Amino acid sequence: MSLVNDVLDMSRIDSGRMTLSEEPFSLADLVHDVAVIVRPQATQKNQSLHIGIGEILEENLVGDSLRLRQILVNIIGNAVKYTQAGGHIQVTFSQCAQPDQQNRPAVRLVFSCQDDGIGMSQEFLQRIFLPFERVSSAAVNKIEGTGLGMSIVKKLVDSMGGVITVESEEGKGSLFRIELPLLIGQGRKAPALPAGSKVLVAEGRPDLAGQIAACLLSAGLTPVRLETGLAAVTRLTEAQYEGRMPCALLLGQELADMPALDMAAHVRQLAGPDFPILLVSDEDWAQIEYRAVRAGVSAFVPCPLFPSRLLETLSSLTSGAAAGAEAGGSRDDDYSGSRVLLVEDNELNQEIAMELLGMTGVQVDAAGDGAQALELFQHSPEGWYDLIFMDIQMPVMDGFEAARRIRALPRQDARDVWIVAMTANAFVEDIRQSRDAGMNEHLSKPVDVDRLLDILRRQLKPGAANR
Amino acid sequence: MQPYQEEYIANLRQIAALTQRGTPGQASFEAYCAQLHETGALVEQIAKRSMELLRGHLFPVLDELFQADAATVGELEEFSSQLYNGQAELDVGLFCQIRQALLTLARQKKDRAAMIRHLYWLGMGRNSLCGKLVGIPFENIAKYMTRMRLCFTEAAAYLKYYDQIEDTDTRGYILRSRANISLGQFNSPGEKIRLVKGTLQILQDKEYQEKAPGLPWDRFIFLTHQNMASSISYSREKVMSPQDMADIMESAYIVYQRRFEEAEMQGRQPPTKSAFAYFAIEYYCGLYSLDTLLSKVESLMNAADPADYSTDGMYAMISLPAFYSQYLQQYPDQLPRRKEYVEGLYRRTLDYVEAFPNPFSSSSLFLYLRQLSHTYVGTDSQTPYSTFLQRILLRFAPETYVHSQMVGAGAKALCALIMDEEPTFFDDIESICALSDPEEKRQAVLDYAMGCGAFHDVGKINMIELYSQTARQWFDEEYEMARLHTIAGGQLLLPRSSTTRYTPAALGHHTWYDGSHSNSSDYKRLECPERQMVDVIALVDWLAAMTHQGAAYTGREMAFDEAVQAAIELEGKRFSPLLTAWLRDRRAADRIRLAFDQGRMDACRQMYDDAYTSSPEGS
Repeated sequence: MSLVNDVLDMSRIDSGRMTLSEEPFSLADLVHDVAVIVRPQATQKNQSLHIGIGEILEENLVGDSLRLRQILVNIIGNAVKYTQAGGHIQVTFSQCAQPDQQNRPAVRLVFSCQDDGIGMSQEFLQRIFLPFERVSSAAVNKIEGTGLGMSIVKKLVDSMGGVITVESEEGKGSLFRIELPLLIGQGRKAPALPAGSKVLVAEGRPDLAGQIAACLLSAGLTPVRLETGLAAVTRLTEAQYEGRMPCALLLGQELADMPALDMAAHVRQLAGPDFPILLVSDEDWAQIEYRAVRAGVSAFVPCPLFPSRLLETLSSLTSGAAAGAEAGGSRDDDYSGSRVLLVEDNELNQEIAMELLGMTGVQVDAAGDGAQALELFQHSPEGWYDLIFMDIQMPVMDGFEAARRIRALPRQDARDVWIVAMTANAFVEDIRQSRDAGMNEHLSKPVDVDRLLDILRRQLKPGAANR
Repeated sequence: MQPYQEEYIANLRQIAALTQRGTPGQASFEAYCAQLHETGALVEQIAKRSMELLRGHLFPVLDELFQADAATVGELEEFSSQLYNGQAELDVGLFCQIRQALLTLARQKKDRAAMIRHLYWLGMGRNSLCGKLVGIPFENIAKYMTRMRLCFTEAAAYLKYYDQIEDTDTRGYILRSRANISLGQFNSPGEKIRLVKGTLQILQDKEYQEKAPGLPWDRFIFLTHQNMASSISYSREKVMSPQDMADIMESAYIVYQRRFEEAEMQGRQPPTKSAFAYFAIEYYCGLYSLDTLLSKVESLMNAADPADYSTDGMYAMISLPAFYSQYLQQYPDQLPRRKEYVEGLYRRTLDYVEAFPNPFSSSSLFLYLRQLSHTYVGTDSQTPYSTFLQRILLRFAPETYVHSQMVGAGAKALCALIMDEEPTFFDDIESICALSDPEEKRQAVLDYAMGCGAFHDVGKINMIELYSQTARQWFDEEYEMARLHTIAGGQLLLPRSSTTRYTPAALGHHTWYDGSHSNSSDYKRLECPERQMVDVIALVDWLAAMTHQGAAYTGREMAFDEAVQAAIELEGKRFSPLLTAWLRDRRAADRIRLAFDQGRMDACRQMYDDAYTSSPEGS
């Protein structure tokens, strides 16, 4: 299939039928998309793949981002393929100013990819961009490939008015370098941030901590850098005591003394549910999202670190301007389009939970026992409730029975609705019993506000437009 | 305290008394078995009642804790301090649950003094749990250390507001929390040493002292020096800087000096622990050779009184041999000329441990036993490591011993059936494949199956209290911690020649056939030549646990036929289809069931004989 696609691409380019689009795109999005594609391949080969950024003048550009992605994935993918397990690959993006021929604002994007892989002979370098040419050696013969990738890349770069160069030495590795002229797109509005506010940066790696601090400084914020979890918790406890909490905690991926997520879990308890905790990491968010959200992380900012991404996410958490926040990563505690059924016999507990849930805009119906809950659910329209919080010990009908009966109702949403058991009974048997009764998860009492909000974050769609 | 709280505490004490293996006296084997059965039933009944107490009384209170009155909250706190007081522990898991709930309440009410107090005690509870993880690689237990340390760190952060917090007790909790940040294990001893040094500077600061003259400053400082001196126990030359050594040296000297003076005044020997720390740091500082240090340690061990069951006595009889063994492990060239001494030392230590009165009253005993289990030096003595482990299980975890023997017998029965039908089934195991005589090969497989069964759960030695003393089902965190017994088992078995071949069974018996649910990166099913035997142990262990001991911890118990059916339903996912196929054969299933009965009976016989020979009437 890959061969067919490559041949079709070549044919389109050769016949002049390939047209390049000129759409606005974000360089940050492009780089992160590429990273998500190539990182797993490198991880599988236990290679160190470092994607860094140099000077970036403009993140919003105009060009054919799909074809650009094809070029970048091809080059980095080759580096992964032709570098031995445990090898090193360094990818860098930077820009320099260069107005185009019509004097429109433009930049020259400089991309380089250096590896310490098998490299190529000088003789092969002469033919590298010719169709169906591949390095021929015992080490390479087992590697899949059509031999068309590099010639497509060359033709695409040429079509974009760019230049591709390659240096290589057999047994030592290769360096690909591409320079492309790209028009500058419309700039986005600078995110609103509380100028002068302190932001705690907990990261043990000086390079990443430095990058984060530089981004914050550029936006008028004051970074406070700490390398250990113990120091960060001490600083936050003091700040809380003095009523001068920083506006957020930016948690890097390496602390000198503990795993970052273990610290996040404690900070969430200490600082309460509203305090923004951002995780800045080059890990794949999809792989760590469940653990990170459970630990209390409010939002994720991927590496390599683009200032716009960090500052926009921070802005959405500190000023409440959450619209357009990144899917999958950012927190948005407005659930005004969602409806929750709260089943709780204790009036005070019900009141507290209603107040907490009410703060998020979620619409709450309350039932005083399992039988009332069942009745409310039965008489609601299909899909009415997005989530049910179910107390266990209740008069008339307990939570187990109510959950069982709801699940047995002959309607689709009875099978799908997420039911959370709320109880102080925290033995593994209790958790299993809740599961056996058809409930999806277990929330210990007394209810921890943060855990409650985490469940909303995971189960509900933010904003009013989801119904 | 509320009556239910008092009853729960009484139940814990009763279970501790009942689970101590009594001597049979003049009783016959049949009467002994009947008594074991009766005791087991009684323990189960008490545990059931304890669960009712928690479900009926405690959990509803926690359910509505935000509206509880001050008296109820006070009673809860008192109840928790009965469960664990920093030294004696009756139920640390429940203690942590209650303290966590009280901390949540204190945070909600913004009651700072209560927050600091509960953070301190929650840290203490977690520290006690961390003590059960001795010997397990740091990367597997780092999160438990972190959880503990963060509690102390948060409480200690209030030190900055020491002047504004006028309550002396709260000031005390802040200072103790500051000192306790350095408890537990670290990536490197340097981290610990720097933290202890920081604490010492604070405690010796006159300004702090003058503002709270009622606090036991002298004791705080001394205990901190003791903590510093004990760093030597965990350290290695290569990671200690000269400054680290100097700091430890100073603390060791202060501790030793104080203990020496106290002992002189009372006309007795200084405590072994401080004497060892003193000798060890002198050795690390290059004042004498390792050979001299070992001779000095030997003289300390020789002087220990085998009838002294105090903490210092235990240290001299169990912990010091553990450190001594650690040196021998690290420098094996020292072993040959000490072999005879080591053999005598282990015999003496085992005799001491087996004669220990009321063992579950002391958590130090199990901490020291964990240390020794992980540093024991394998020799070809009369007490090989395998025997040592068996005797520890027999003495302190008889139910695990019985279960292991049942699994061994069940595995043997299943392997016998397999070998009749397919003699090459286990040929991926090199030592089995090498045997050409069919009968010899068959016997080797059966012996290996029995051994794997006997040792698969040996990691539970790390968590004896959790398995033997918990008078209720486990909480989620305890369950998660208990799962580490596979890794602990691997750590115990792998380095010693008499047990190394059973390592895969210990590491892999909870890993599913499809490769999931593994918590050990050292067991990769498809790469393990012993995987067929590990699959056998996994299946038989599950059947034995479901039918004979599941209810105690997870509330799930099945009849044998029901368990067989459930296992078949899990084939291809949890269990190997090659093995579950055998369960479809009624006769095969019956043979496993009968083997369980026989295994249980043999284990009881072993316990009877062992107890009889060690009791005054029997000897």
